[in-house]
Amino acid sequence: MSGRPATGNKSGINGAAAALVDGLRAVLGPSGLMTDPAAALVYAHDASHLELGRPLAVALPATVAELRRVMSLCAAMRVPVVTRGSGTGLSGGAVPADGSVVLGTGRLQALGTVDRRRGRIQAAAGVLNERVSTVTRAAGFHFAPDPSSQSAATIGGNIATNAGGPHCLRHGVTLHHLGRLSWIDSQGVQHDTGHGTAGERGLDLRSLLCGSEGTLGVIVGAELELVPNPRALVTLLAFFPELDDATGAVVELLGEGLLPVAVEMVDQGMLRAVEEAFAFGFPTDVAVAMIVEFAGSEDAVDEDGRRAGALLDAAGAREVRRAEDAAERSALWLCRKKAFGAVGRLAPSYVTMDVVVPLGHLPGLVREIQVIKRRHGVEIATAFHAGDGNLHPGIHYDDRDPDASRRAHAAADEIIGAALARGGSSTGEHGVGIEKLHALPWQLDAVTARLHRDIKRACDPADLLNPGKAVPGAEARYADLKPVPPELTFQWDSLSVTAPAGCRLSAIQDAAMAHGLWLPLGVPGRGREPGLAHDPTVAELLDHLAVGPSLLGTGTPRDYLLESWAETGGGEVFHSGVPVFKNVAGYALHHMLCGSGGVFVRHLAATFQLRPRPEQVLLLRLSPGAGEPAVPDAFWQWLAARRGRLAAPQVIAAADGSLLLLVAGRDRPWDLGGVAGELTELLGPPAWRVKLLAAVPFATAATLLSSGELPAWSLGASDWTALAPLAGADFLPAAPLPTGFIRQGRPDRLWVPQQVPAAAGWQADPVISAGLVSGLPAPAPGVPRELLGRLKQIFDPHRQLPTPSWLAEVVSDE
Amino acid sequence: MSETRTRLVELLRNCVQCGLCLPHCATYLASGNEVLSPRGRLILLNEVLAGSEQAPESYLAAFDQCIGCRACESVCPSGVSYDLLAHGQHLAARRRDTAAGQRPVPAVPEPVLRRLDSVDFLRLVGGAGATARSLCRTTLGDGWRRRLAGGPKPVAQLSRLLGSLPTSPQRDADLVKLIDRLLAGAGTGTAPAARAAARAAEPIADRRPLQFFAGCANAGLLAGSSRRLVAVLTAAGFEVQFPADQDCCGALAAHTGRPGRAADLQRRNRGAFALADTAGAVPIVVEAAGCTLELQSYGREFAERVVDAVTLLAEAVRPALRPVPLKVALHDPCHARHGLGVVTAPRQLLSAIPGLTWCEATEQEVCCGSGGAWGLRYPEMSADLARRKAADLAATGADLVVTANPGCLGQIADGLALEAPGVPILPLTDLWWYAARLDKK
Repeated sequence: MSGRPATGNKSGINGAAAALVDGLRAVLGPSGLMTDPAAALVYAHDASHLELGRPLAVALPATVAELRRVMSLCAAMRVPVVTRGSGTGLSGGAVPADGSVVLGTGRLQALGTVDRRRGRIQAAAGVLNERVSTVTRAAGFHFAPDPSSQSAATIGGNIATNAGGPHCLRHGVTLHHLGRLSWIDSQGVQHDTGHGTAGERGLDLRSLLCGSEGTLGVIVGAELELVPNPRALVTLLAFFPELDDATGAVVELLGEGLLPVAVEMVDQGMLRAVEEAFAFGFPTDVAVAMIVEFAGSEDAVDEDGRRAGALLDAAGAREVRRAEDAAERSALWLCRKKAFGAVGRLAPSYVTMDVVVPLGHLPGLVREIQVIKRRHGVEIATAFHAGDGNLHPGIHYDDRDPDASRRAHAAADEIIGAALARGGSSTGEHGVGIEKLHALPWQLDAVTARLHRDIKRACDPADLLNPGKAVPGAEARYADLKPVPPELTFQWDSLSVTAPAGCRLSAIQDAAMAHGLWLPLGVPGRGREPGLAHDPTVAELLDHLAVGPSLLGTGTPRDYLLESWAETGGGEVFHSGVPVFKNVAGYALHHMLCGSGGVFVRHLAATFQLRPRPEQVLLLRLSPGAGEPAVPDAFWQWLAARRGRLAAPQVIAAADGSLLLLVAGRDRPWDLGGVAGELTELLGPPAWRVKLLAAVPFATAATLLSSGELPAWSLGASDWTALAPLAGADFLPAAPLPTGFIRQGRPDRLWVPQQVPAAAGWQADPVISAGLVSGLPAPAPGVPRELLGRLKQIFDPHRQLPTPSWLAEVVSDE
Repeated sequence: MSETRTRLVELLRNCVQCGLCLPHCATYLASGNEVLSPRGRLILLNEVLAGSEQAPESYLAAFDQCIGCRACESVCPSGVSYDLLAHGQHLAARRRDTAAGQRPVPAVPEPVLRRLDSVDFLRLVGGAGATARSLCRTTLGDGWRRRLAGGPKPVAQLSRLLGSLPTSPQRDADLVKLIDRLLAGAGTGTAPAARAAARAAEPIADRRPLQFFAGCANAGLLAGSSRRLVAVLTAAGFEVQFPADQDCCGALAAHTGRPGRAADLQRRNRGAFALADTAGAVPIVVEAAGCTLELQSYGREFAERVVDAVTLLAEAVRPALRPVPLKVALHDPCHARHGLGVVTAPRQLLSAIPGLTWCEATEQEVCCGSGGAWGLRYPEMSADLARRKAADLAATGADLVVTANPGCLGQIADGLALEAPGVPILPLTDLWWYAARLDKK
């Protein structure tokens, strides 16, 4: 432990502060408010080893109502508030400055029950990440983001830093697993971010708050989206004598269309530290140990494991071990999981970095780090979330030696520079905090940075929420604007595509499909009318998320969006994000604006992540026998269990009562071959007959649109309403649906080809009306419209962009 | 800088402040306050070691509230030593009187606390407790503990003391009745048939000698269980000896700031367990995990002979066991799990009993909040932890909870009485005794 000597409470307790402390104590009682020297010292620290000062007080509210009171009392006294979960952050985001109040959320422990229909659970901010997975295991789910600190880290902290982890490669980071957020603003008023349904249109405050490091609001609770537990796992551990071979193998592995849940590596420095500390018997004469893990059905992971094993062998691995059961698997993971602790034994101090680059640049960055290491004469041991292009180089030094400290920090800055030069980011997981505040301007353009400051001011005019963190000041020298891409380009090595706003989805899919990849937003036809055959533009996708239903789409553009270029109403062009999916440098303006209906900005271009495409798609018809009533729940449950696959199954309910089912997967017996049989068993004649209508290669799935098998209304219609289930909703609305509808698995909703009113427990959005995208709907109750008005003012001060009437009411005219 | 201080400063450098210890620390879980977490205490200790001034009272209060369960040491990825927190406790104990203002009123007066290592005194307390409990039960019914918990504060406090006083069936017949009743309640109905099916163990020719360490709480409060443990050991092929003049292991004295008395007790026990000849080291078997840990601190030669009863049974000859088709939750005493590293042995015993399913609670590694005298000195936090632990154990759906330490036994029994009435807790060795059909011998 290398703490600095105490400075004492420099601010002292003056009259106003004493009054605040009295007020807080009246709300929280003696056990909920601490001002003693022990509390001031302990809460001055977090896991980052960075310090700013001593807090005036530590407040530990036991209820959200208490938390609101704490915030409003602090706001009234203009005392800064630093929100804290368990203090496991590594960038100094939770350390307080002198005289501020630390607001701990650890006592907010409410955890709901699993909503099995929607795969969601409600959690208060203080619930520990690992507890969510422990509690939901029996229901067959887990919470995918798994930062190394997951046993101690809180959900509130995970959201505030948009936490990642080893298993984010397949499932994404915290932002990808959030429904509705509940938060407290800088005045102590509680709000929601929306209905929290996937595919909900509007300015996404959830994306803004997630990763904002406590600078815009205090997260008090969230609806979390859970991931179904896989039926089987296969884990490989490979040892590589050459670093280059290992990094090259990762690029190749993902390029092959394999999608592991995790690809982790530790380098020789880290392996040696682990071996010295724990003596597990791993070889230490290799450059890299790599873990590759697959999740899925038994046969699929077996096959994936075999293919990956052969590939790693060919790429230069000296040895590939394979774990079949839980005990063997945890033995293989030991070298990775113990890495964090082992570094504590290497040297008295270390800088843990978390740079990230597009996957294709991983080998180059790793080579350059070796050069930087030699140039500065520092020791570096690295753990990698290799599949994500995310590295944790740990630079070890003795903090008692000033020259060693200087060299370590100089090397760290050069590594950040090297990542940025390759189109990456200074931070993929840990956040900016105070640690990387100086480096943030290197990757933000001046307009984006100004928008950051304006947004901060709009949410927190008195600068009370975690001031001095995450958002750089006006005086910094910012990077030049990243040029707006003029044409469609693919980064095959990095599995991403960059497209201008006018580009059509079909142009992306045609090229990607040929490479075994796709952007999982649907297989478009060439239609111009909204429906399955519609071919949307990138601008349409960015503005509206979806223009009617899509064929086999899985997820929303926000799920795959990595960066975007846009121009404000005033014509200022800015850029947000980097072409990697783990990035927590700055506010996620691109995610927030995705789906905002063209009301706040004009989108110019974007980069999306590509995914391996399925290999085959089946079209089946399920016909009910005479007098057969509604579709049994067992069928909908069968569908729900298949969410989150390469492409979620889709159902088209025809007017005659029959169902058309589209299922994509691999053309292998375990994946698709069994589908018809499974369904026949589930629904069974004579009640239902199951007939296979077509089986086509996925790359030519668009031919289904012209096969004549799909009802005409599904291909194009002039009205579409999207119905999304809210908490407690059943598989279908209780009120009977008219004629036909399309049920999409991800985002979970029903598309009805006409205007329909909202049913109980369902959110209805009339997305398409008379062939055109309808205006942005009014936000859900609980969303602060005044804040949306202030944000409109920032992005479109002169209202050159469309302004829905509900928004016009709250925009102040200047 | 003194030698101790230099060593501690070096040990402290291993701490990377990651905070992974937090969710395993009982006082942090009970309070949500990081000052009462291992990392918090180490941050304070770091300052104390760096400075020359006396530590502020609020620091000492944080050290003093450490239960000493060592759960943090078990989970620490960087291998930070528990010696650091022990040093903090030591600092606090030295100034316990001066820092009294920061501490709550103990559940029993300090002089009584100090007599808890006397077998005679505990026998008296146990007897009085049994009478009081039976009085409560007769007048208020089986739910007496719940009813009194809602009463005026002094009544609630008294009932907490009564509820958490360790107890187990004195008469063998009562134990049999209790488990039979659970079996009947579990609705399996296999117990009588299974009993008939079990076969008798074969007679053992060569008996191995074994010295029995009685332990004050076991001897004073759980005499029936101790007697049954001896029967179990005998059945497993041991010749159990009872060295005279043995006394308390000294753990309580050491933890209540009386190193002199602890040293005295150690001297006495060394004499009592000294071997007459060198014909080979005779193991010393200990019933309570807390005593085992303390006896292991007597020096290497002595420590090597000390063996925890559960570990010994797991390694010993297995008697013929009858099925006990119950769902059983195990609570590991911290002294066993974190102090001695005894994790597999109790699970092996449970796995060996036919028909029994055992389960792990989600907070398996977290202290129950008894902590010997700690629970009496921090009664409120201790009561919170008892309920938390009981709720966690009950959430497994277990019919029965078993453990291997008198303090945990009483603490969890009290928590269960409030959180899951009807779910009893027994010493693991009592369950083993039942499964081994020793009531039939």
